[in-house]
Amino acid sequence: MNTHLHNYTHTQQSRLADYCRTGDPPKIDGLTENRVHHYRRLIHGVIDDTLQSAFPLTCDLLSQEEWYGVVDAFLSNYKCQSTSIWKMPSEFYRFVEETGLEIKEKYIFLEDLLNFEWTEVEIYMMPDIAYPESKTDGGWLSEVIAVNPEYKILQLNYPVHLKNPKGITENDRGEYYVLLFREKESGKVRFMNLSVYFSWLIEKVEIENTPLIKILKEAAQVFGVNEKALFENTLPFLEELKANKFIPGFYI
Amino acid sequence: MERNKHVGIGFRKDFAEEFLEGKDLTPAFLEVAPENWMEIGGYWKKVFNKIAAQYPIYTHGLSLSIGTPDELDWDFLKKVKYFLNEHNVQIYSEHLSYSKCDNAHLYDLLPIPFRWDAVKHISQRIKSVQDFLERKIAIEIVSYYTPVAAEMSEVEFISSIVKEADCNLLLDVNNIYVNAFNHNYDSKEFIEKLPLDKVEYIHMAGHEQVAPDLIIDTHGEPIIDPVYELFEFTAHKLPKTVPVLLERDFNIPELNELQYELNRLENICTKAWDYEHSLA
Ligand SMILES: [Fe+2]
Repeated sequence: MNTHLHNYTHTQQSRLADYCRTGDPPKIDGLTENRVHHYRRLIHGVIDDTLQSAFPLTCDLLSQEEWYGVVDAFLSNYKCQSTSIWKMPSEFYRFVEETGLEIKEKYIFLEDLLNFEWTEVEIYMMPDIAYPESKTDGGWLSEVIAVNPEYKILQLNYPVHLKNPKGITENDRGEYYVLLFREKESGKVRFMNLSVYFSWLIEKVEIENTPLIKILKEAAQVFGVNEKALFENTLPFLEELKANKFIPGFYI
Repeated sequence: MERNKHVGIGFRKDFAEEFLEGKDLTPAFLEVAPENWMEIGGYWKKVFNKIAAQYPIYTHGLSLSIGTPDELDWDFLKKVKYFLNEHNVQIYSEHLSYSKCDNAHLYDLLPIPFRWDAVKHISQRIKSVQDFLERKIAIEIVSYYTPVAAEMSEVEFISSIVKEADCNLLLDVNNIYVNAFNHNYDSKEFIEKLPLDKVEYIHMAGHEQVAPDLIIDTHGEPIIDPVYELFEFTAHKLPKTVPVLLERDFNIPELNELQYELNRLENICTKAWDYEHSLA
């Protein structure tokens, strides 16, 4: 479709865009040179503001110099694809994940922290997902449990959801699971630390559409625990999920 | 309080309650960027649905990047179309600039080279967008701080595109004031040369002077008197009444100050349009 635009014009446009991203002095015909920096400043400002509001913990953790360094590296090197700017922070997270940055050696849990902060934004904003039709009361073992479909479970190496990031060290390394979900009425995002068993259970319950009794049989094998003990351990957890509205009830 | 007749304002999340109550602010309509409201759910989707049921919604897009050398983003346009239809949106406007280049979004408005090949390229793109959306779009003359490889005048560039693409124009009166100041031309002469019969929508805003010879279009200050005067001049020149938007994105004042600006604009519209049109 690009039949009318000449290479010359395209090049001038590319140079201006490249300058805004990298700061390398532009060679553009007819440019007012002492003004063009405003474009780079404005773009940097928009990106920085958006990232600061999506990643308040990360921004607070990094020194100003470190923060600007990584934002600048992102702007220069990463080609943002999000047409809605609120989604752009997910690309920042991806950039940090895929790029060998020195800062990741200093903050070993940085990827986890960005993942956690982005997921909160994502779940808060994401399109509504229809809830299963459910009734409030039912039998935990014999009926199919309905869960709030607006959730995500993250697997993390560091407990960024449990501890102040400033206090996290290599000693905290482990296998952590966190459930993030959106409350239907308020739209607020809540999160809960999970054991590996509970994260497995939630996903089973949601995907398999079968009564808990069957899932517990499988769990007993997978985790090598007897069914009765498992149920006694699971029931308070399910009651808690119901109380904070992650479980609306049972399928009709 | 009764709603304004001609003058609307940009929807802001921090005033959502006030808009729903409709007491302290009485805009005729609300403007949103589709990109900020499409494909969302949860709390803000619920609020937006209520707002859209209560006010006419006009839109001002951010990411179409009509002036880019890149291909049109059809997937994005599909989502825009869905959003416009979902909320019965009457106006879809966009910036005559580019915000994406070589496959990277920049989230700001870069100036297009005023060149003939760009006129052809952009007009073709606008036509494709209009065909796809099954509606005309209104393109906004943006403020700019430096020309880029220009071979024609700004007014010739804009007029040629509007003519060739057969689209509408969003006349941001503050942008014209800012550009006239920054690039040393006469704002009234510029406006008179525009295809005023194509103006479908007007924007009004404040700005900030950052150097003796440079104004930045910040939308962070009240509208200044010379811009009100330029608006009055423009309103008398237009062949028809059009909606007018007060843009304020930063440094948000008390609601009564915004309402004062809405009313001041409304008075100018009433004088220019309601009176003249009742004579006609
Ligand atoms: Fe505008």
